[in-house]
Amino acid sequence: MSRANDRRRWQAAGASVRGAAHERSGMPNQDAIQWTGNGSSLVLAVADGHGSARYPRSHIGATIAVKTATQLVHEFVLGQTDVENLSLIKRAAEEWLPHAIVRAWREGVEEHLNANPLSEVELDALRNDTLSQAYGATILTVAVSERFILYLQLGDGEILTVTDQGTVSKPLIKDERLFANETTSLCTAEAWSDFRISFQAITNEHPALILLATDGYPNSFRDQAGFLKVGSDILEMIRTAGLGHVQDSLEGWLLDSTRAGSGDDVTVGILCYPQITQIK
Amino acid sequence: MRPGGELATRPLHFIWIADCSGSMAIDGKIQSLNTAIKEAIPHMQDVADENPNAQVLVRAVRFSDGAQWHVSQPTDIADFKWDDLDAGGVTAMGKALSIVADQLRIPPMDERALPPVLVLISDGQPTDDFSGGLQLLMNEPWGRKAVRIAIAIGEDADQEVLKKFIANPELRPLQANNPESLIKYIRWVSTAVLKSASSPASQSVAASATGLNVPIPALPDATGPSADDVW
Repeated sequence: MSRANDRRRWQAAGASVRGAAHERSGMPNQDAIQWTGNGSSLVLAVADGHGSARYPRSHIGATIAVKTATQLVHEFVLGQTDVENLSLIKRAAEEWLPHAIVRAWREGVEEHLNANPLSEVELDALRNDTLSQAYGATILTVAVSERFILYLQLGDGEILTVTDQGTVSKPLIKDERLFANETTSLCTAEAWSDFRISFQAITNEHPALILLATDGYPNSFRDQAGFLKVGSDILEMIRTAGLGHVQDSLEGWLLDSTRAGSGDDVTVGILCYPQITQIK
Repeated sequence: MRPGGELATRPLHFIWIADCSGSMAIDGKIQSLNTAIKEAIPHMQDVADENPNAQVLVRAVRFSDGAQWHVSQPTDIADFKWDDLDAGGVTAMGKALSIVADQLRIPPMDERALPPVLVLISDGQPTDDFSGGLQLLMNEPWGRKAVRIAIAIGEDADQEVLKKFIANPELRPLQANNPESLIKYIRWVSTAVLKSASSPASQSVAASATGLNVPIPALPDATGPSADDVW
């Protein structure tokens, strides 16, 4: 890891593990993670397929979700030529991206369906719902650039930001409907309206670290404070041992958390800013 | 060193809500209920062992002239023991639901819990403000999202009241007219329902608005009136 090369460049890390409960039942990992970009602009997404019988292809839906969201949001960020007009970018993000992400996801689902028609068993599981429900998934996406940060979330899971001083907070307002095992989803009729979005202009300060997690991770901690502590702990670990150490260790940590915690699939994505990646 | 605080499995609260009115003393109903629950305990322990990511915690409420916690502390199923209930008095079902509602508040309940399972067992009609008690229960988020199962013991049980408790047209009260059917239904809720509730997959808010938020397994065979019916 080179200091010079890292300066003013965001970096990403992440991992996804199959849940302990899914290991026992033989189900595949329903989560997905992907990131794209070059450092000056980076987009990371995680998704969680719903996993029950009514969503028999949700693991594929999650993969389509992270692929389409990272590609679309990255194109959006790169397409902003008037970077001085942040209010215009904010408005465009809020008004256009939810529709565009849902539309792109549905097109991806349609393409997969055309190549792989649903079986009789899958059709029965859907009851009278639309075919795209078979692919139901959440999507959490964060885009970082030199001038702004964009947070988008549809469904459960958590996004945390950590300041340079280690203060952890949540950039998005709570959606009270995300309770028990219920979530908003890409597969519902007006999914675009369920997005939560936050736009942060980068002035003097910005998060040192941003963490995205599917709900299997926060549900693995005894309390909310224990989950929030992940943010400040990882920041400290990156400072002392480097992002490479965190990346190498992440899968093991996530496996521990699903086994001793929720049993659900667990996915974590990390975006960190260069100044903290320099190993002390 | 792993980041974050203490890891923990998710609690699954399972609550028996048992009618102990005087009529439960007739024809051995209360003894049959005690036997059925005792026999179910090892099967619940087996289900809990199969899913170590859910911590099954059991409690019980009894109602007659009033309602009290029969087992007040959420008890790990591995340590759960059943002390026999006895019968006598009227049917304060509304009060029973209200004290359950108190315990389903957040806190003491945790948002990260699994949906609780509430099993209401009754052989008669409420003699107090059932609607008020049910309203208190349904005012709580975990009351609305609980898996609510009702078992009617005998022909005098108020099916309409039990349907209101279930509050879902996809699920009907289970009708137990003899000790064998009561054992069968108690076993079903203790095993199949518990297993389903202990590892529920996510579903969209829109889907749960029209159905059950935890898939309910196939009901045990429904038997019509038989010569064995004693209740």
